[in-house]
Amino acid sequence: MIEIELDGERRQVALRREGDRWIAGIDGRTVDVSVVETGGKWSMLLNPAEAGLHEGSLPDRVESGFSRISYEVAFEPTAAGELIVHVNGVAIPLTIADNRRGARPRGGDRDAGSGPRMIVAPMPGRIVKVLVKPDERVSARQPLVVVEAMKMENELRAPRGGTIAEVRVSEGASVEANAVLVVLE
Amino acid sequence: MRKILIANRGEIAVRVIRACRDLQIASVAVYSQCDRAARHVRLADEAVAIGGNSPAESYLRIDRIIAAARTSGADAVHPGYGFLAENDAFAAACRDAGLTFIGPSSEAIALMGSKTAARQAAIAAGVPVVPGTEAPLGGDAADEEIARMAERIGYPVMVKAVAGGGGKGMRVVGGPGELPGAVRAARSEAAAAFGDSAIYLERRLAHPRHIEVQVLADRHGTVVPFVERECSIQRRHQKVVEESPSPVVDSDLRGRLASAAAAIAASAGYTNAGTVEFLLDGEGKFYFLEMNTRLQVEHPVSEAVTGLDLVEWQIRIARGERLTIDAARALTPRGHAIECRIYAEDPDTGFMPSPGRITALRPPDGPGIRDDSGFEAGDEVPVYYDALISKLVASGVDRPQAVARMRRALAEYDIRGIRTTVPFFRWLLDQPVFLDAAFHTEFLDTLLQQRRGTSFSEPESSLREVAVAAAAIYASRAGMSRSGAGLVGPAFRDEPAAWTRQARVESLRE
Repeated sequence: MIEIELDGERRQVALRREGDRWIAGIDGRTVDVSVVETGGKWSMLLNPAEAGLHEGSLPDRVESGFSRISYEVAFEPTAAGELIVHVNGVAIPLTIADNRRGARPRGGDRDAGSGPRMIVAPMPGRIVKVLVKPDERVSARQPLVVVEAMKMENELRAPRGGTIAEVRVSEGASVEANAVLVVLE
Repeated sequence: MRKILIANRGEIAVRVIRACRDLQIASVAVYSQCDRAARHVRLADEAVAIGGNSPAESYLRIDRIIAAARTSGADAVHPGYGFLAENDAFAAACRDAGLTFIGPSSEAIALMGSKTAARQAAIAAGVPVVPGTEAPLGGDAADEEIARMAERIGYPVMVKAVAGGGGKGMRVVGGPGELPGAVRAARSEAAAAFGDSAIYLERRLAHPRHIEVQVLADRHGTVVPFVERECSIQRRHQKVVEESPSPVVDSDLRGRLASAAAAIAASAGYTNAGTVEFLLDGEGKFYFLEMNTRLQVEHPVSEAVTGLDLVEWQIRIARGERLTIDAARALTPRGHAIECRIYAEDPDTGFMPSPGRITALRPPDGPGIRDDSGFEAGDEVPVYYDALISKLVASGVDRPQAVARMRRALAEYDIRGIRTTVPFFRWLLDQPVFLDAAFHTEFLDTLLQQRRGTSFSEPESSLREVAVAAAAIYASRAGMSRSGAGLVGPAFRDEPAAWTRQARVESLRE
């Protein structure tokens, strides 16, 4: 569950994802949206509410030629946790509430639970440091690997506590985007 | 004329560079420290550093600009608007250095720079002026004498700086009791802004419109007046929206305005581009206000409705060519054009300047749209200068089409990193009083007061809903923790911003 604050109002958002497609439950209402990034912006195509979506059933609206509402969305981070979301050129400032640690281990968010987790490289880079070994116990947010890209070093952290099942890279190695670096049990 | 130095910055420097290129003339930019990589520097053929960031250390330094022209081998200087554009000493210094000044003579600038001398020139040309004092009231003018003059003109009166411009040194006086204080305030403001505390009085017209006439005059005695521009939409005496033609000027009035403007230019021995400003009252009577001896910010609306290139003509006149423009063409609007001045100002905080880095910028385009901009994505809007980012101009066959296109363009105008006046214009173009063109020079200030600071960016609920969903997905993707390996989906591969975003969200979580 992610909490978004807009104009002093807190909104609870639950997310599910299938490829480009996201199902967002916002305070009980469902938003079904396709997200594709291009040139630093997002194209969002939104299924109209009356499409009558149900959790667990995701009929392929694209294939059936469903007409969806088009939005162009861009993000402008302003301060820690604060963001201006530009929707069709209209600036909407909001805050991403910092409730992630507390919310993480609980149910309702199927991705945060148990099961092996792959830590992957979000873009091509070079491994600067591997900070963990197999069988090592790690806590949530503990740094696992340092990757250099765009002349910047970036720490990849554990999304949750657990045990390192596998380390698939070594220091100095170059990695492609999407490469699995560490597997967390 | 082979090489022109542009003694300016921002969008107007870019505009002049483009005209140089069209005429196959080389261009030289000048720049202050913080403008080292500014757009006008990048677009010019050559560039010369002229000093520090404050205008007094760079763009107002006559000596350094003349030296820059010498070292670069420029043979002409275009002053743009603002800075030294209406400084007669600068025009004289260019002439004395053997450089062609692309503008009127130093004498014409000096004559029209004095508001009282300009009024006398208008009277001599047989053009009505707003009733007021004919001679400047220097610091030695007694309060009683000023009070008698105000009585004779009739309240309410305006106290204005003789050397004035841009609303500085200007006061509205409702009755005799307010007069001495207003005179003192106007004097001190004028002394600070123009180094001259002389003032004069003018009757204050009720709800006038600001109408102005562009003129071009060559060195062979030809003066061509253009179809008028309507600039009544002002915020604190500063133009905000300009259009051409005026929605209330018919062809008869247009002809009379044009003749009056041409007569004033001719009587002043004026050459090159200039603008004669008038106030138009509710009964269709117009009065000379002042003459601006330079290219105006709003010149593109005149270009849009006549198809003529004013900057190109400025250069051609300066090199001695004859004006070969068909007078009827300049005076007959083909369609309608509107300009919005897009400023780096936050309309939601009382139009506070909002300098900084423009992180993303996509100016609108498409039919009928022109955007004269001094900036691109990645550029920094410095704190030292006028905050004009670009001039957005929409034109169409008539006013409704121009308005519709401007609305479309404002909706497409995508700029991030700084706040701008775009949301304000989106609001303004929806106002019935704007659509009906029922405005006068004070209407906007009144309208803004009535709003009492309500935000100009009140997004409708559907957009807010999308923003909430988008922010949640953004946080989820960037954080890698919501959907695990799913972060790097097909849409996000090889995406350079991913690391940056990662780092950002990491810091956000601390």
